[in-house]
Amino acid sequence: MKGRLVLAAAAVGSLAVAGCASSSSSNGASGSTSSASASSGGGSGKTCTASVGFEGPITGPVAPLGTEQLHFAELAVSMDNAANKTKITLVQGDTQLQPAQATTVTQQFVSNSSIVAVVGPAGSQEVEAVGGPMARAGMAFISGSATAVALTTGKYPTFFRVVSKDSVQGPQDANYIVNTLHPKNLMIVDDQEAYSTGLVSAMVPVFQAAGVKVDHESVSQKVTDFSALVAKVTPATSVVVLPWQVAANAQQFGRDLAQQHKKALIFGTDGLFSPGTFTIAGSYVSSFGPDITAIPTDASIAAAAQSKYGSFGTFGPPVFAATHVIDEAIASVCKAGQTPSRSNVLAAIKQTSESTSILGQPISFDSHGDLTNGKFFLFKISTSGKYQLIPS
Amino acid sequence: MSFFFQELVNGVTTGALYSLVALGFSMVYGVLKLLNFAHGDLYMVGAYIGFFVIQWFGGAAHLTIPVPLLLLIMFVLAAGVVGGLGVAMERFAYRPLRDAPRIAPLITAIGISFFLESAALLLFGAQYRVYNTAEFISLSSGIQIGSVTIDSVQIMVLVLGIALMAGLRLLVNRTKLGKQMRAVAADREAAEMLGINVNFVITVTFFLGSALAGVAGVMGGLLFNQVTSTIGFIAGLKAFTAAVVGGIGSIPGAMLGGLLIGLAESFVTGYISSTYTNLLVFGLLIVVMLVRPSGLLGQAQLQKV
Repeated sequence: MKGRLVLAAAAVGSLAVAGCASSSSSNGASGSTSSASASSGGGSGKTCTASVGFEGPITGPVAPLGTEQLHFAELAVSMDNAANKTKITLVQGDTQLQPAQATTVTQQFVSNSSIVAVVGPAGSQEVEAVGGPMARAGMAFISGSATAVALTTGKYPTFFRVVSKDSVQGPQDANYIVNTLHPKNLMIVDDQEAYSTGLVSAMVPVFQAAGVKVDHESVSQKVTDFSALVAKVTPATSVVVLPWQVAANAQQFGRDLAQQHKKALIFGTDGLFSPGTFTIAGSYVSSFGPDITAIPTDASIAAAAQSKYGSFGTFGPPVFAATHVIDEAIASVCKAGQTPSRSNVLAAIKQTSESTSILGQPISFDSHGDLTNGKFFLFKISTSGKYQLIPS
Repeated sequence: MSFFFQELVNGVTTGALYSLVALGFSMVYGVLKLLNFAHGDLYMVGAYIGFFVIQWFGGAAHLTIPVPLLLLIMFVLAAGVVGGLGVAMERFAYRPLRDAPRIAPLITAIGISFFLESAALLLFGAQYRVYNTAEFISLSSGIQIGSVTIDSVQIMVLVLGIALMAGLRLLVNRTKLGKQMRAVAADREAAEMLGINVNFVITVTFFLGSALAGVAGVMGGLLFNQVTSTIGFIAGLKAFTAAVVGGIGSIPGAMLGGLLIGLAESFVTGYISSTYTNLLVFGLLIVVMLVRPSGLLGQAQLQKV
């Protein structure tokens, strides 16, 4: 099967390079992206025009999350265009959560002079891959889901994120587990992706310091059979931590627990926030994004997303926030009478100071691109499958 | 000891699933010497068919027909539609390339695999579709022996899997059609000269192999609950490995290979660590291949000089 991949790469490589990004208009206008530089004339009455790249896993194993992100990016551009009288176009790039694919998409975006900033990519491993090229191109890029600590040490000066990092979420979740759920034995299972292993690395020291006996396991994100692993959950194991991105996998894990009469409860993160898919009663889910359906000021956005795209989780709203930051930066550049460019949009993003946002918190960035005072949200799943916010 | 038996049950159940998919892979290789890399995607199509049958009859929580009838429809429809899809693949994609260099149908198979994945993504969307098996087959409806649990779905997968494998073995060894299949596998040109309708035999082989993948897809959906456009990749990978380890082209070999992989995964996960499952299982398989390059039950090809 490895041969399948090699052959496939050879067969479709040129097509992938040529065609992995496509443009879409968010305002019903032409979807084409001009090769000319972005133009404006906010002060002179001309339309404020620019293109924004979107990088996300639109296909592949986490396509449900990537598609949700794309939908919210489109929604943000659409709403911001209407509010700011801008003509911003979103250019899609499918990264499949693969660093190599993200690099290819980034190269295309960098060579497209009309693109002044990028939303995404989704995964920390992808940010690691594209951080250098983005920096060399002077292109600002804002992720709505990359949480690895190493991304904001200053090595990627054009990178920003609207979610908190693992060093906040990991210990926060681990402390909640230790102090509230009081496990003596615990199983933690990573899904062999950078996102998951990063969180595990941040959590395990807290468990060990608290004297909790930890069984660290690891399964591929593509695996769907957990019966053998669940058999290892001992009667003394009261919590299984699943920092995963695929909610359907966690649902199956929960089903296997029930099938083998295991009483351990599941504590998941981010990707498991999926009310239609992950419904194991008594489970906990910590998320970098809030449930915007429960935030009154987000009612119009939630309603628009619901009617246009159907149900959604917590991966979309942060991307809406990221896109909105870029849209506002472009609009501010135009209002200042300048033509949007990578450099002036980057400068405007650095100055971002939103007193409120779709995430229910202010948005501003520190000198390394991290969200100032970012926080996480913890939910418990009720017997009816509803996600109930646990007050922090 | 109960832990051992629980892992044994888990491994045999998963292995039976791998075996079913591997059988089709091995059958097609047997008659055409073609590595049909699109075979795993037929498993995916079967799983989708099972899901949509559940939806057609009211959804998992509100079924409008009895569960046994639902299961019968799921399996029959998946076998028929996926079998037909396999026949169409053979007729329109592989048959025109039958006399082409072997790399050509191989590339075509990869192309079909990507085509099916992308078609499923476009038709059914990116979201995971969930069977919710527990809504209509209770988790507590199986057998409990001490602390070892075998639920009804596992029992059904085992019984049906064994029955299908036994039936296929009978068909190949005891019927005229089976004899023709073996003749085509041994020497296609000689079989044709003896009056065997080779095209018909190949078509039937594709139908049977694909139908088994479709049935396995429904079984996988019932066992693992989820369907998405990419699930065929892992299924195909495991089936290919099982077929090669058992001896590609050998039907008993495919069964044995599937069971071995299922059991090895289960016991490595249970007794060592899930972290090392792929490393150790595939390491073991490399050792098997080094000792028996033609697979456990495969026959070494004679070189004519």
